Amino acid sequence: MEMRDKLRKWREDNHRNSEQIVDVGEELINEHASKLGDDIWIIYEQVMIAALDCSRDDLAWTCLQELKRQFPGSQRVKRLAGMRLEALEKYEDASKQYDSILQDDPTNTAARKRKISILKAQGKSAEAIRELNEYLEQFVGDQEAWHELSELYINEHDYGKAAFCLEELMMTNPHNHLYCEQYAEVKYTQGGLENLELSRKYFAQALKLNNRNMRALFGLYMSASHIAASPKVNATVKKANVKYATWATNQINRAYQLAGRGTKENKCSVKAVEEMLESITMS
Amino acid sequence: MGEVELSCLAYVKMYLHGCLFPRCSVNGLLLSSSPAGGAVCVTDCVPLLHSHLPLAPITQLGLTQVDVWCAQTQQRIVGYYQANACVSDNSPTPCALKIADKIAEQCNNAVLLMIDGGKMSPDYRVPPIVMYERKDTRWTLKDKHTIMLRQWEETREIANQLLDSGDHSLLVDFDSHLDDITRDWTNQKLNAKIAELASPANVCTWMSRVEK
Repeated sequence: MEMRDKLRKWREDNHRNSEQIVDVGEELINEHASKLGDDIWIIYEQVMIAALDCSRDDLAWTCLQELKRQFPGSQRVKRLAGMRLEALEKYEDASKQYDSILQDDPTNTAARKRKISILKAQGKSAEAIRELNEYLEQFVGDQEAWHELSELYINEHDYGKAAFCLEELMMTNPHNHLYCEQYAEVKYTQGGLENLELSRKYFAQALKLNNRNMRALFGLYMSASHIAASPKVNATVKKANVKYATWATNQINRAYQLAGRGTKENKCSVKAVEEMLESITMS
Repeated sequence: MGEVELSCLAYVKMYLHGCLFPRCSVNGLLLSSSPAGGAVCVTDCVPLLHSHLPLAPITQLGLTQVDVWCAQTQQRIVGYYQANACVSDNSPTPCALKIADKIAEQCNNAVLLMIDGGKMSPDYRVPPIVMYERKDTRWTLKDKHTIMLRQWEETREIANQLLDSGDHSLLVDFDSHLDDITRDWTNQKLNAKIAELASPANVCTWMSRVEK
């Protein structure tokens, strides 16, 4: 069934398109439940989480009841009940729910991560960071957690530590262009010649891994231009960076020319980019 | 200080930007097509980011591109808006202050606008916004009575209508543009839809609906 396949694809890709999931899922559950077989349980879980995301507590409650009935005493269902409490902003109760899971099963990573999410939702960033660091000491391979930590550090303007998290991620995911590019952005933000050079290298690396990453392309252009313009660099370095910046400019122009073909829509943005690049190469 | 007027177009797009990315902090630039001096009229806005707001490269890029576009279209950057992901806290973050400071260097009655996520709802009686202005070197809360949003109820209805019809997904911010550069961050398509909804004929229909 088409709807079933859609839900499965969204599950596998971990999409957070909650409104769509609720639309499709609700219809599937209400009209075709009998035809779903054992799939229905995982669908209930998926739809429940999406329903919480859309403030559809009625639907979330229904799904939760079905799951409770089918899997009494399940830790996984307990966690879902906790998530519902979080959605209702009953953070104390949610925390107690997760604590009870952890009492029975201290290695339950899902419950630990939900507790950290609660801290985040309450704006307690320092505590969330501390807890997440402790978590990572135990579960050092949890990519999602490293990424979450890097985001928390970025929001706290602690760029050095954010960079450290991204370095971990790049080590374990050397082909992921997004981590390279984010690392480059953090280095650029830190500023100073050394960081700018690092940022240029990593923007270039991101482009090697994915030559359509526009952020990396613009990043390469900007970092190389700044280095070339710095009074602290010698003529050789300056020349090299002007070369990188020029290459990036050409690539950007090409990309925008291609994008601008046929659509009247983005003429404004195309023109803006052209002028921006022109004005900077002249200075 | 002076009065600030916020146009329907600017408000609706800012509001929709916040609605489009409910789990993220979002920000953008406020523009004016009126000449400098006198009251500040915010006539349009450009939604910028919904991720990594504190990071420099894309913010700088966005500011530069919008600057260029403004010069081409006789507009000026007169302010900055932000909506925090955490709805319980609508105070300006350090990066908001930094960007606002930069804008104030070029525009001396620049405004900093924070969207109050906790107050966003379809029938809220006052606009869910908090405005700051620069006094000496600090950003201070602006007196509510100096902020004008003409025809608030109509504006609110337009925003609601676009949300209901799903048209809010037409909104393109700079972040989305970088994901797909065929998408237009000047939002000409959405602007046209908003203008259509704001036409006098439509306004009469809502007024009667609102009164019921």
